[in-house]
Amino acid sequence: MKKINYHSLIFPLLFIGFSFMGCNVFDIEDRSDPNNTELGGVIQNPSRADIITLATGTESSLRTDLRIYHINLGMVGREMYRFLAAEPRNTQDLLGGGQSTLDAGAFYTTRPWAAFYASIRNANILIQAANTLQGGALSDAEVQGVTGFGNTLIAYEYLMALNQMNENGIRMQDPTDPEAVGPLLSRQEGFDLIISLLDNAATSLSNAGDAFPFTLSAGFSGLNTPSTFRQFNRALRARVAVYNEDYEGALNFLGDSFIDEAGDLTTGAYHIYSTGGGDQLNPVFAPPQSGAGDSWINHPSFVADAEDGDNRVIGDKAILRVDEDGNPNPATLDGLTGSYGLFVYKTQTSPFPIIRNAELLLIRAEANINSNTPDFAAAVQDLNVIRNAAGLDPYSGALTQEALNDEMVRQRRYELYFEGHRWVDMRRFGRLDELPLDRPGDNVFESFPIPESENVGS
Amino acid sequence: MKNRYKFAFLCLGILLISQSAWAQFTVTGTITDASTDEPLISANIFHQPTGRGTTTSADGKFSIELPGQNATLRISYIGYIAKNADVSASNNQINLALEPDVANLDELVVTGLGSSVKRENLANAVSSVNADELVGSSPAQTLSSNLYGKVPGANISSNSGAPGGGISIKLRGVTTINGSSEPLYIVDGIYLSNDAIANGSNAVTRAAGGGSASNQDNPVNRVADLNPSDIESIEILKGASAAAIYGQRASGGVVIITTKRGSGGKAEFSASQSIGFTTIQNKLGQRTFTAETAEASFGEPGLALFNEAQAQDRFLDYEELLFGQEGVLSSTDLSSSFGNESTSFYVSGSLQDDEGIIETTGYEKQSIRANVDHRFTDKFKVAVSSNYIHSESNRGLTGNDNTGTTFGVSQTATPNFIDLRANENGVFPDHPFNTANQLQTRDLFSNNEDVNRVLTSVKANYEIFRNAGNLLSFQFTGGVDFFSQNNSLIFPGDLQFERISPDPGTLVETNTNNLNTNTVALLVHTFTPSSEITLVSQGGYTSFNNDQNIVSTVGVGIIGSQTNVDQTNSQQINQTRVFQRDRGFFLQEEFNYDDKYILTAGVRADKSDRNGAVNEFFYYPKASFAWNLTNMDFWKNDNVGNLKLRVAYGETGNLSTFGAKFSSLGLSNIGGFNGVLINNSRGSEDIQPERQREIEAGVDVSAWQGLANLSVTVYNKNISELLLSRELEPSTGFSFEQFNGGGLRNRGIEASLTLNPFQGENLRWSSTFNFSKNVSEVTDLTVPAFDVGGFGTSLGVYRIEEGESATQIVGFDPAEDGSGTTVTQLGDGEPDFRLSWFNQLNVAKNIDFSFLFDWKKGGDGINLTELLSDLNGTTNDYDDTDLTFPDFVNDAAGITDDTINGVKRLSLLGVSSRQFVQNASYLRLREIGLYYNVPVSALSKISSGLRGIRFGVSANNVFTISPYRSYDPEVSNFGNQPISQGVEVTPYPSTKQYYFHFNIDF
Repeated sequence: MKKINYHSLIFPLLFIGFSFMGCNVFDIEDRSDPNNTELGGVIQNPSRADIITLATGTESSLRTDLRIYHINLGMVGREMYRFLAAEPRNTQDLLGGGQSTLDAGAFYTTRPWAAFYASIRNANILIQAANTLQGGALSDAEVQGVTGFGNTLIAYEYLMALNQMNENGIRMQDPTDPEAVGPLLSRQEGFDLIISLLDNAATSLSNAGDAFPFTLSAGFSGLNTPSTFRQFNRALRARVAVYNEDYEGALNFLGDSFIDEAGDLTTGAYHIYSTGGGDQLNPVFAPPQSGAGDSWINHPSFVADAEDGDNRVIGDKAILRVDEDGNPNPATLDGLTGSYGLFVYKTQTSPFPIIRNAELLLIRAEANINSNTPDFAAAVQDLNVIRNAAGLDPYSGALTQEALNDEMVRQRRYELYFEGHRWVDMRRFGRLDELPLDRPGDNVFESFPIPESENVGS
Repeated sequence: MKNRYKFAFLCLGILLISQSAWAQFTVTGTITDASTDEPLISANIFHQPTGRGTTTSADGKFSIELPGQNATLRISYIGYIAKNADVSASNNQINLALEPDVANLDELVVTGLGSSVKRENLANAVSSVNADELVGSSPAQTLSSNLYGKVPGANISSNSGAPGGGISIKLRGVTTINGSSEPLYIVDGIYLSNDAIANGSNAVTRAAGGGSASNQDNPVNRVADLNPSDIESIEILKGASAAAIYGQRASGGVVIITTKRGSGGKAEFSASQSIGFTTIQNKLGQRTFTAETAEASFGEPGLALFNEAQAQDRFLDYEELLFGQEGVLSSTDLSSSFGNESTSFYVSGSLQDDEGIIETTGYEKQSIRANVDHRFTDKFKVAVSSNYIHSESNRGLTGNDNTGTTFGVSQTATPNFIDLRANENGVFPDHPFNTANQLQTRDLFSNNEDVNRVLTSVKANYEIFRNAGNLLSFQFTGGVDFFSQNNSLIFPGDLQFERISPDPGTLVETNTNNLNTNTVALLVHTFTPSSEITLVSQGGYTSFNNDQNIVSTVGVGIIGSQTNVDQTNSQQINQTRVFQRDRGFFLQEEFNYDDKYILTAGVRADKSDRNGAVNEFFYYPKASFAWNLTNMDFWKNDNVGNLKLRVAYGETGNLSTFGAKFSSLGLSNIGGFNGVLINNSRGSEDIQPERQREIEAGVDVSAWQGLANLSVTVYNKNISELLLSRELEPSTGFSFEQFNGGGLRNRGIEASLTLNPFQGENLRWSSTFNFSKNVSEVTDLTVPAFDVGGFGTSLGVYRIEEGESATQIVGFDPAEDGSGTTVTQLGDGEPDFRLSWFNQLNVAKNIDFSFLFDWKKGGDGINLTELLSDLNGTTNDYDDTDLTFPDFVNDAAGITDDTINGVKRLSLLGVSSRQFVQNASYLRLREIGLYYNVPVSALSKISSGLRGIRFGVSANNVFTISPYRSYDPEVSNFGNQPISQGVEVTPYPSTKQYYFHFNIDF
């Protein structure tokens, strides 16, 4: 019998074997997520298209969980009630009903916070990716534009968080390390951070050329080039200045903003909403006539304290609730009652203001009333623009700092109603004790706690 | 003169040489069964040196030609102890009797990737189920349902009664919390995909809120595609101590399936036909209404409808209308085995057509298999297995929803005095109290799952080198498993709940393509330096690749009766892709000293791209020792045929879920522009597999010549590096990440007792008891206690908490001192124990009778079907007062023992959850079968080619005794889940089957 050479058969077998396994015999390739854009790729090897989608995503993310944030500020600031039978914490915790306090683990504390920081992280990724592309697919001016855009929005989100947490401060996010936990900042340190971000961004925007590499949504129409976006940045800076009682600074910054006493009060930057695929709808829109168990109600004092003839109140932002026979139909829940349905945002796609001309005029008035060299006449001029648009007669009160501050606060209340200002304003003017308490045992809180999951106690 | 002698011597020499070179002799004989003296048909006669073999004929006779002058033949037959016979040219007639191997000592069991040992020498508790045990008694619809009660330590639970599958197998308790808990299935060397792909019905039912994919779609896990009658044997490696050599995919155990192969020899042909019907297992009944109760539960409209029904004396039984179909079951199997000494074939085809108990539901399967074994030379042989399966199932729409559309939820809103049937024009009325009319939904809607699957494997075995004490061979296995699953759901616009939508009519098309490929290449060296010592060394390489692509399209606004998803008003598309690449090496050494001491040690090194570090190896060692006391020289007791002590240790891994290591950006659009936004879960770059360490010890005893066989195993499994999710500081921009931490422990005992009280000619009886008990505990949890599965504490929820059982169920309950409501443990999903009793009897040689009882004691479920019925006022026992609760519960809820059941349970909402946590124990007669085999003598009168005719009757799930207050204590709304199996929300009711079988063998 012929002897078969065993060894010569092994290699063809092994060859068949290994070819069966394919090319990746021993080493495994580290592949990225097939179902989503992966972070590692965007940071290490970004493309121009990545910059564009990151910028749009950052603008879009500013809207996350705004409903909860504005219910928080609206209720604590006694502007409105959110009646929802399934969520008793709205009318208990937020108003300090009975023994309630604000819960560091509840959704109203944790979700807006998480939303702000997710936007901040997205903007930090955007800036990091743009700087990696420097000298490549993005021109130097474009990189400056992206950096200025990103830092402005980061500052805005820190400001939202600081508005809510107030004396408890905020946390700084490490711009490049997603695993690092940043330091806890006090209220003033928080403002300092916001100011430095806004000012750095303004400088970047001055060197950013004529256009951004990405397109902003229609919410920023008129403010969507580096130079006009810088006006938006300066407007925010002016707001932060009056929060810090820097009135001279505020006037300076307003000069670089889009303020226009002859212009439309609604000019400004907005969050927009649409029914398009993947887009969002206005989260605080609701029909004013709805069942009491799921309704948005003006705080009774909004209507009660209004000046006669103010066309912003009944019929505009406050609609009398009636049943199908036309009889008054007040809503009641948990010991609270309101006769008027909240109707600031008229459709499910109504935009939500970030900052607008009306606020800038009021900031200018505030600065002129309270600066070291006050200009009461100029303040009255700006206040009259607001009063005029509201169908009211020009201001005829005293020209003293006290009286003018009262008028300025009143106009801020009615003009910027349910835009996230009332609680912040009354707090910074030291007037929280003027806010009405509807039930015995209710409280007006000054600050929300830092979320439990931040582990600041340990 | 000299030349003539030389020539003569030369001729003689040539003659002699050629005689020795070309000498052959023929051996003939008869092989019989030693206990009955009946001839053994198809027994194997094998001559190893030449590889020649044959089988015995119908009368037990064989004939084989062998070279040379003498040889040793090996005579074997499944279920009997093999024997060697020395034959020679002069001694070429042998008549041998084989002893039945009642203790299965000679059975070969797989212990490594390339080797197997006799059960007698096995150091692990490996359970085997052969073809006869699997389907011989009463074949059930899918493979997993044939394993109930036959594997100690296996907790098998079906998710619903819907036809086509959906069954979970958990071996030795809970092995993970967030990973995969099902075992690894290997069929003829192919790593089988056992995925359960959601069909997309969540788009309409909204069971999981939003349009996301949900495991509440009642999916089928794909092991259901296999044809149980193709299976020769199944071996189950239950824990890490046995499965360690399979590495990081084996934490849930390994199920090794071998399909039938041809035997060289006479061609055989087998045909069988089963026909039967299926019916609901347990009807719950409906509430009997009066005018008062109709008005109380359904208001004025209810009273009006009740009066109408009473006037016409028309009270309908909706369980009968919806679940009352007696579905016809039919199964046809044809198989053939043929070949010669070098090639053998096994070919089979199967057609299955089962109707369900709900009209329009059912399951059809067609399967064709060809297994070829070819021996090229003495040293090289190849085995090819290939199988094509096509299955189509229509499973209806049951289970949880948030829109009132599933059959079950609609049924809970249906009192017996309304009429939902179609009128004479075929038009269905609207349901007066619900968004959907379940009879209309059943008839107009369709939920079709169409699967095409191909399983192919090639096994090559090459003997590199062989001499007296050495055998070195190379084995290569390559397997491919491809399936394409197409789910098509049609909700026509005429349906009650579709008509009110702005876009009436919904279509869902989900297409899945899944490809698994795997290879094993190894060298095995068997070294026998002396007759007492055998060393088997093996080492090799394995690889596994998986790619899956699921594209799901939901279209709303159907145009006419068109069912293409591109002809709808608007579509939403989801795509999910998954991939996996695993590579590994292994090394194993087995040392056998004279079948007295058997020692094994090995290690497996694995890497995978599921881990953060894709090319980092993780090592999984194993070691075991078995001591056969009866083979020791000092053992003199003849009564105990086999006594073995064994201990084994092993480690396995469990890979993280796909995506855990990615930090990704999702879509966030504004004003028509596309944007990306970072997801709130941060990828874990250092995610690694969970690790299971198991030690098991046991004893196997076989006494009185196989009259009694007892096997007891105790085990302790520790799982560390558990995959958990933890909250992050949100100021980082992320809220969660997965990480490895925490620990889980399972301890348990398995015992199997087989008695063979009668082994005579006229009565043979084999009786097996399988007992198992498992206790789990969460030993270490580095995050706060969290809930898995269920719908919140108020309804009863599974909670992972350090120091408690992994399957504990917590809920509300009033504090006993009346101080308020507390959250407390109300139950546990783990059974106290499982015991099964399996009997096979052979009476008067021709009658086979078998039955299987399955007893699960303890183990609780969460019954929310009862809640939905109560909220609607339709529960069958609503007006009874037999349900009682302790006094402190009554006080807290403001009820008394005389309050009616429905009101009692509803009053407990928010006060207690104990009414939902119900005892899911059961005693079930799973299988019973009675068969008649036509005697061999009668067969030969009909035709000489007939080997057997058999016919009989059988039934599955004939009766169940259980305190559980719904259709079936075995249920899972969420499909196969590691922890939260056993939550019920209006499932497809479970069924029983009755069959008539006919089988003919040629």
